[in-house]
Amino acid sequence: MMGMNFRDLCERRLDIAKEQKEKNDCLVIGTLCSYVPVEILHSFGIIPLRIWGESENLHKADALLQTFICPPVRHLMALGLEGHYSFLDGIVHGYTCDAVCGLYNIWVRNLRPRFSHLISLPYMAINESSAYTMVEFGNFIKKLESFIKKKFSPESLKRSITLYNEARSLMKEVYYLKKSGLLISYADICAMNICSQTLPVEIFLPEFRKYVKTMKKEERWSRKKLKILISGSIISDTSLMTFIEEVGGDIVADDACTGLRTLLDVIPEGGDPLQSLAEYYLTRPPCASRADFPSRKAHLLEILADFDIDAVIFIHQKFCDPHLSDHPFLRKILDEAGIPHMQLELEGDGFTGRVRTRIESFFEMLERR
Amino acid sequence: MTEEKKTTKRLHANKALRQIITDFYADAHRAKAEGRPVGWIPPMNGLIELFYAMDIHPIFPENWAPICAAIGTNTNNFAYAEKRGYSGDLCGYFRNNIGYALDGIMEVNQPLDGLPKPDFLISFGAGCIPTMKTFQVLCDHFRVPVFRADLPQIAMEDIRDHHIQYGVTQIKRLINFLEDLTGKRFDIDRLRQAVAYTDDACRIWDEIMDARRAIPSPFSAAEIGIMFVMVTRHGTKIAVDFLQDVLEEVRGKVERGEGVIPNERIRLFWDNIPLWYNMKLFNYFEKWDAVVVAETYTSAWTLRMNPDKPLESIAYKSLVSYPLVSCLSLDKRIELIKKAVKDYKIDGAIFHSNRSCKPISMGQMDIMKVLSEELNVPGVMFDGDHMDGGRFSEAQFHTRIDAFMEMMSERTRGSIAHF
Ligand code: SF4
Ligand code: SF4
Repeated sequence: MMGMNFRDLCERRLDIAKEQKEKNDCLVIGTLCSYVPVEILHSFGIIPLRIWGESENLHKADALLQTFICPPVRHLMALGLEGHYSFLDGIVHGYTCDAVCGLYNIWVRNLRPRFSHLISLPYMAINESSAYTMVEFGNFIKKLESFIKKKFSPESLKRSITLYNEARSLMKEVYYLKKSGLLISYADICAMNICSQTLPVEIFLPEFRKYVKTMKKEERWSRKKLKILISGSIISDTSLMTFIEEVGGDIVADDACTGLRTLLDVIPEGGDPLQSLAEYYLTRPPCASRADFPSRKAHLLEILADFDIDAVIFIHQKFCDPHLSDHPFLRKILDEAGIPHMQLELEGDGFTGRVRTRIESFFEMLERR
Repeated sequence: MTEEKKTTKRLHANKALRQIITDFYADAHRAKAEGRPVGWIPPMNGLIELFYAMDIHPIFPENWAPICAAIGTNTNNFAYAEKRGYSGDLCGYFRNNIGYALDGIMEVNQPLDGLPKPDFLISFGAGCIPTMKTFQVLCDHFRVPVFRADLPQIAMEDIRDHHIQYGVTQIKRLINFLEDLTGKRFDIDRLRQAVAYTDDACRIWDEIMDARRAIPSPFSAAEIGIMFVMVTRHGTKIAVDFLQDVLEEVRGKVERGEGVIPNERIRLFWDNIPLWYNMKLFNYFEKWDAVVVAETYTSAWTLRMNPDKPLESIAYKSLVSYPLVSCLSLDKRIELIKKAVKDYKIDGAIFHSNRSCKPISMGQMDIMKVLSEELNVPGVMFDGDHMDGGRFSEAQFHTRIDAFMEMMSERTRGSIAHF
């Protein structure tokens, strides 16, 4: 399976970043959450590398973070303390939730990266907010200019935007290829998403082009399995996804921080690139930390209809305020739409037997319907 | 161990405070009965001045929560929230306020007659996630006009003109909304007056807090309830008059050398929100002749307002209130605490690791380390929750604190430890 390439690339992502850094003598900057304008970093020749935690070795963060902080944040801190990210030249956060904000500050204090920056985006897309965002981006650019002693170039930003637009469109196309009946496992889609957020665009884009071109020619199948939407924050545990697909689900879409939400819109090309960028980040479907209920509802209903979803699995992280506080509201929407749903809460101990059993009984229930 | 000693009197101002609390809610019900709008708003922002300047009665769910905890209705509200599917891991303010607003509000015979329902709501991006989400749930539940506002989170030290200007544009939008709602015109001079009152209140507040530098300290953290006027009565003369009385009382005590306890020996700092359902914890330290003389929470009001620039002032207040106490600007927070530790001649620090509040709890380990390494001030951390007594073990608190205080007693015995 071609998709396996992506899983492999995904596994080797940190090594690739290190190799590229060495080979091209460029900087690598870690980005927290999906609201950092990576296009700006790229336009300076910097490799943006999104970083997050998963669900293991949480206790290694105990000296700096309490046990009631969500597993991804604790795990990321643990990785940082163990030196996994010591090759990074800096860290940038596009403000989302309280936990990541705290992590950013604690990281900066304790690991002392050479460059750090917090971008505070507004929550609404109105005229004043895009002007405001342009000032924020402008300040970010100024800080980068003085850090790497290089002038910002709008032309270079335009080129970066074109590359990322193409990458996002191809990624989006993969979802729609799956929807049209191609046999693609969601674990592969997830690996592609992760590649697109952690590898230099020059490396994954050619792979994406090849993959989409080949897949377009493949045979389409009529779907037998139930079409599943997964929803939550960071969902990167491929064994969990594979298990869902084994017990009878077909994950066709997601509402997650690493997925579809970031792919739906394109940044308008032509015109002032900073303004286009500002508008893109303000208008795309917001994450739980940035959304109000009406906008989350609108986006959920759109995805449910577009992908003709049969059931929803919420994959939440324990102690995750934004997702846990949206959950009852989203559940209500699904109940009204007659779409069954379940919630898994990951507690930082990986893909456990408890999680397995819950998924199995959910599918048994779906079959009995 | 020494036997339990008695606190030398609470502040007389407490009597007046009780009346102020009763009046605040009575006024809200009166406003409702007279057809004046009642708006529910997030706490610690500059909207309150605008509300009072436009004869709108503000209600702060977040301020209602400590009252529920003190009177014990919090557990009921938690149960309602749980029934609605809200995770028990969410902030206790959130769970209490959602439980109360969606179900608890229907109960009969509520203390202070409960909260009058809102005539409009403000949903906003600003502050912590639980506050932001509280208002989203409320907006979904109460079918009333909603004003959607926006204020990004910016670290204190990074606040620039464009942030304030953005805040001002939001406030202008809100003014239009409120003019439509009330059918009345906004009068900038009334806002100026309200801003002047807040400025006075903040100034007096600082003076009251400064008086706690005295040894012995005239009052302890157990009096933190006086903060009620800083949340609910900013923008009014009520806060100014009350705080002026507090200041006089406190100054009198300082002049007479009257401390909270007779032989103050150890001065403590408290980080994070108090346990609202167990305020007597603050007195626990007395058996070691120790007093909590400063807190992180009370420093959130160290700000100045400029009545000549009322819109900018309330925008600025809205921007700084949250970063002042949260992890948004850890360096700034550490700086403030270090300053307090020096100013108040602190011997030791108590860290309430608060399961309910991530933004205030994150970074506590860093703060503890800085105090001990740079200032030689030891600290102790205990697990608790500012709203949920089920998340707090008093026995564990005693074990932790006893060991720490014994150590502190050893350190300060016979010597004047204050530098
Ligand atoms: S969104 Fe949730 S899971 Fe993600 S960092 Fe924030 S609290 Fe943690
Ligand atoms: S206590 Fe903390 S988490 Fe809860 S509403 Fe306040 S700032 Fe937010």
